[in-house]
Amino acid sequence: MPKLTIAQNILAANDTYAAGIRQALAPRHIFSINFMSSPGAGKTALLERTIERLGGQLQIGVIEGDVETSADAERIEAAGASETVQINTRGNCHLEAHMVQAALDQLDLDRVELLIIENIGNLICPNAWDLGEDLRVVITSTTEGDDKPSKYPQMFADAQVVVINKIDLLPYVDYDLEKARRQVLALNPQVRFFEVSCRTGAGLVEWCDWLADFARREVTSGSKELQR
Amino acid sequence: MHELAMAQSITEVVVKKARENQARQVNTVRLLIGDGSGVVTGPLTFCFEMIAGTEPLLTGARLEIERVPHRARCRVCATEYTIPDFVICCPNCGRWESEVISGTELQILDMEFEAENEQGVQLCQN
Ligand SMILES: Nc1nc2c(ncn2[C@@H]2O[C@H](COP(=O)(O)OP(=O)(O)O)[C@@H](O)[C@H]2O)c(=O)[nH]1
Ligand SMILES: [Mg+2]
Ligand SMILES: [Zn+2]
Repeated sequence: MPKLTIAQNILAANDTYAAGIRQALAPRHIFSINFMSSPGAGKTALLERTIERLGGQLQIGVIEGDVETSADAERIEAAGASETVQINTRGNCHLEAHMVQAALDQLDLDRVELLIIENIGNLICPNAWDLGEDLRVVITSTTEGDDKPSKYPQMFADAQVVVINKIDLLPYVDYDLEKARRQVLALNPQVRFFEVSCRTGAGLVEWCDWLADFARREVTSGSKELQR
Repeated sequence: MHELAMAQSITEVVVKKARENQARQVNTVRLLIGDGSGVVTGPLTFCFEMIAGTEPLLTGARLEIERVPHRARCRVCATEYTIPDFVICCPNCGRWESEVISGTELQILDMEFEAENEQGVQLCQN
């Protein structure tokens, strides 16, 4: 019986789209971020607060992934994003690079310096799909329990930044910040942490300052390689 | 359920190769899956068989999965070890400075098929 060597990555088609996205964004000096979290951790809230604070100095474009509805895209527009596109995956549990490419075709890239992609709320599936991003940010919140990094190690291992959100609720929930940090560091010693509350605004200055600096540094150095 | 999307990608690649090579029937597809890839064998096989059932070229095709251990090498003392649950701490010196050396594979290795015309099989490798 004939045997045919294939020797190809299962996600080669996705990787080709992701490479195309990097090629489209790099010469325009657009810095891109993939926001990932479980449902309700606060991806949209962090986007809103970030746009409110940085929108005046950086043109921020948003690709809003959601299983259904455009409610989050409306929140983002109200916060002052330069450009917003909604992707509805109709049941799919993660975004893929071809969906991001299709969304990019609807954006006016001349009006975007920082592109933030809100992935589908899910701590497992989105991880395997490279979206052509420069930075992976995982958002986790104090209401989810402090064992999430150990239970969903891969997403925390592959992120460059972990944002712990809803710290305003720390007095009311059983969440040990130190324990959560230790678990993440065990998976990812180089990770960068931010502890924020999108409700009270705590920690948002540090996050926004760092993000603005990082986006500018990426732009001026022209280095778009994801450091994984 | 990312295994479903993975199974879809696999069948797309395999069907394309099967057509290019005038296959009548694909019997086996071999994969290399790293333990650090987050892909679970059971659901992947289940999804593959489900999709294969809807694609005439793949009817009854079997998935053979070879797992690769998730391993790292310590940058400090050069110890090589299997990574337990993604925690990349060297068991010898206790440092957190290792590089992953295997276990992220997500490869389609090869496939076995029955050719349309048994005599004139010409393998097209692209
Ligand atoms: N108390 C509190 N609630 C928050 C915070 N951030 C988000 N929320 C709430 O958490 C819920 C989910 O937030 P959302 O941004 O929609 O999460 P997403 O599903 O990750 O996009 C909403 O009701 C938010 O108002 C926070 O820092 N503190
Ligand atoms: Mg949201
Ligand atoms: Zn060591």
